[in-house]
Amino acid sequence: MPDWQALVRSQLDGLALQPHERAEVIEELAAHLEETFEGARRQGFAEQDAAQRRLSEVKDWRALRRRIQTARTMENIMTNRVKQFWLPSLLTLLLSMGLLALIQIFGPHPWMVARHSGWSLVAPVAVVYIPWLLSLPLIGAMGAYLSNRAGGSQRAVFSSTVFPVLPYLVFFLVALPVIAILNDRVAHNIMFASLFIGLFACVLAPGAALLAGGFLIQLFHARRLTSRRVVSS
Amino acid sequence: MIGAGIKRGTAELAVLSILEEGPLHGYEMARRIEEQTKGALRFTLAALYPMLYRMEQRRWIRGSWETSDNGRRRRCYRLTPAGREKLSPLRQEWSELFQALRRLKKVAHA
Repeated sequence: MPDWQALVRSQLDGLALQPHERAEVIEELAAHLEETFEGARRQGFAEQDAAQRRLSEVKDWRALRRRIQTARTMENIMTNRVKQFWLPSLLTLLLSMGLLALIQIFGPHPWMVARHSGWSLVAPVAVVYIPWLLSLPLIGAMGAYLSNRAGGSQRAVFSSTVFPVLPYLVFFLVALPVIAILNDRVAHNIMFASLFIGLFACVLAPGAALLAGGFLIQLFHARRLTSRRVVSS
Repeated sequence: MIGAGIKRGTAELAVLSILEEGPLHGYEMARRIEEQTKGALRFTLAALYPMLYRMEQRRWIRGSWETSDNGRRRRCYRLTPAGREKLSPLRQEWSELFQALRRLKKVAHA
């Protein structure tokens, strides 16, 4: 009788699962082949024929390896991605935008960044909501905390923290230049000055505020890990 | 003979239905499905296990290692409460599909 475990192990070589999981899969598939082989033998097939028929159940072992890997890991990846990135990111976005809307309706007047000409302001003008900027470290900290708690990587934590400014960044880096290029009625001298002021007011300043909160959480997390290591050693 | 596309769609229903009768390991599951469908549904190893693992990830079934009387270790699958919940609407969907097909004259005469 063939050594089914050795055969399955060699065919599924490179199956990227945890060692214990891989061993389980190999044992299970080998057991299946063994039972079908014995069933064929009971039906009167010669050993060689029975083994050959069982092996013909898998036409492409590489494809099987890929499908097993996808089946056993895909759902986890999806769940982790939601917990580590999407949930914290969308929460930070929702909170920061909600807060901005509230401040715009009820809050104090914004600080207008512009060049003065006599009593009037001259474009380009940036509108900066100071209370909003002051609240962003808290929101960034929340995003970093949630992503950290779910075991997110450094990249996931960083992305979750600065997620609220990403739509603005895309707008200033992609949409605005495209408008400036395509629309010949736009005064380009104003547009490019606006681009830099807008980038500062809507991306750099809020991004820095969010990161400040996120950084504190990362620092706290790193210190806690160090103290745990010290205690356990 | 039933075509491959329809077979794929019914495979999950077949597994959930057969596990409703009680816990089974992969080989026995495939054997019983083939027997009860008179060979219309036949699972090869390559088709069965990726599907079982996918269904396990979705928490519809749960696998655990058991040792039989002859000392063999087998991974037995049983239906979870989530799988039981899934079974009813799946049955309903397929029943509606078959009824709809029956209503088509051409299919009915096929």
